[in-house]
Amino acid sequence: MSSQPAAVIGIGQTKHKKKRDDVSLPGLVREAAQRALDDAELNWTDIDAVVLGKAPDPFEGVMMPELSMADALGANGKPMMRVHTAGSVGGSTALVATHLVQTGVHERVLTVAYEKQAEGNAQWGLAGGRSGGMGAGGIFAPWMRTYINKSGAPEDIGWKVAVKDRQNACKNPYAHLHLPDISIEKVKESPMLWDPIHFLESCPSSDGAVAMVLTNEAGAKKAPRKPAWVLGTAMRSELGTFPGRDTVRPLAGVECAHMVYDAAGITNPREQIDIAELYVPFSWYEPMWLEGHDIAGPGEGWRMVEDGSTQITGDFPVNPSGGVLSSNPIGASGMLRFAEAALQVRGEAGEHQVADAHVGLAQAYGGAAQYFAMWVVGSSLDAVDAKK
Amino acid sequence: MTDAKQPDAKQPDAKQLAAKQEEAVDPSAPVTGMDYFMKLEYHELLCPVVREFADALMDKRLIGHKCPKCGLIYSPPRGYCPICTVQTTKADEIEIQTHGIVTNYTVVTPVQYYGQEETEPFAKVSLQLDGGGTLSLQDLPGVPVEQVHPGMRVEIVWAPDDERHVDDVTNRSWGSAEGAIRGWKPTGEADADPSEYSDKTF
Repeated sequence: MSSQPAAVIGIGQTKHKKKRDDVSLPGLVREAAQRALDDAELNWTDIDAVVLGKAPDPFEGVMMPELSMADALGANGKPMMRVHTAGSVGGSTALVATHLVQTGVHERVLTVAYEKQAEGNAQWGLAGGRSGGMGAGGIFAPWMRTYINKSGAPEDIGWKVAVKDRQNACKNPYAHLHLPDISIEKVKESPMLWDPIHFLESCPSSDGAVAMVLTNEAGAKKAPRKPAWVLGTAMRSELGTFPGRDTVRPLAGVECAHMVYDAAGITNPREQIDIAELYVPFSWYEPMWLEGHDIAGPGEGWRMVEDGSTQITGDFPVNPSGGVLSSNPIGASGMLRFAEAALQVRGEAGEHQVADAHVGLAQAYGGAAQYFAMWVVGSSLDAVDAKK
Repeated sequence: MTDAKQPDAKQPDAKQLAAKQEEAVDPSAPVTGMDYFMKLEYHELLCPVVREFADALMDKRLIGHKCPKCGLIYSPPRGYCPICTVQTTKADEIEIQTHGIVTNYTVVTPVQYYGQEETEPFAKVSLQLDGGGTLSLQDLPGVPVEQVHPGMRVEIVWAPDDERHVDDVTNRSWGSAEGAIRGWKPTGEADADPSEYSDKTF
């Protein structure tokens, strides 16, 4: 299949918060979409197709919302697609939009992802309305405990990630949680939700949306602001449960990472990536993904947290935006990682901008840590080569 | 390993929560939203292999399929091995033993969503059954949550004949079948050696 370069030329997001009772569902997505169009200095009529993603419909109880949202997204009479891949959906949605441009099917694609958690109950949705629901944390907790046992990581690693991401979020005006007085003590003293995860080591419930405009090379050259070039994309999945499955380092996640590194020409992720936005809804997933995506060696991910490498000023900043731990409009959470990585390589991340960020990695995962979506974006088409 | 202590603060139950919401209502404030509960009842037809698993549960038996190629045991059976991508049939059916080892666990502090009946922290465990086969999301009724730990040897507790049902077995089941399996009880034997289960988290 022929492939041409694609780039992000517009990014918009809402302020993420506990409850957006000032807007309807269509109002929420339109707010993010309008901001992405404004950023690209385009109008609704300039868009050829819309790709929408969100987490499972029972979370708000509005089934197939893409149908009723077509109006709000200016998609009447245009191709519109809906993507479903559980928690990784925001990432997969951005990739579907990217592929529509790379394959030359469309010239300018608007991609949007959202969740309005306050209009439903995700715990109820996950439990299928039955008693005794585990919640996502209940499914992931034993795997985090296994990581801790296997790697010998000290217990304060999870607390450190929780503090770092909340401190980063204070630099991001769109982040839901702004907890300027967060501390290791506070995280440690917060109630245990799912051993080993404390309340402050878990993501919040948020209302929010994010949107991007993607276009081809010709469109990117006409864009008013610096584009973020898509240097590699990858999606992988595996079954959520089977005997012998490695739940701490799922094979699909390992293979997805190598696929995206190969596509982008990355031979040494730790050296050649300047900033990573990884899907970390529970603190321990930061070191788990650093190892699970071969950025750090086995048992070395937690050392990167411990020695400060993943801080905004470290040599491998992870989640300078505050990450999923600070804003979790579920369906949008994956696309926020993709959009934040793009903002960084455009140099437009504001107060949470990482210095000299030219190559960014974004990752989203979903289901029982079984669906993976990733992209590498760069400040230029040869941003990775420039590092060799 | 982190501290396994549970929070002391008791979660409010659904009634307390409702009463609290009632208090917070200001009658002169404009209405900005309202709760709406809807209900959709449907009956899910079980696919043939899951039906066989459910029928076996009614006979107080656990069954699985053993992949003819790689030997992995799937319980409940799926009718295929997703790793080898080969079909498995009745010929691959094996009896799974009803005793084994707790390989992992979660203690859940229940969130009070509509329909939630749990009010106190509860444990769910993963099991490695002797002779092969694994089950997830199992209960250890009567065992205090702070005593649940990997390595415990347990055996099955079937629901009594006149109460046993498989209404909660679905095509997407991970092995949870509370209508037939009341849970698992410690056998009192010494804990298994970590080498027997440390690489088995499901």
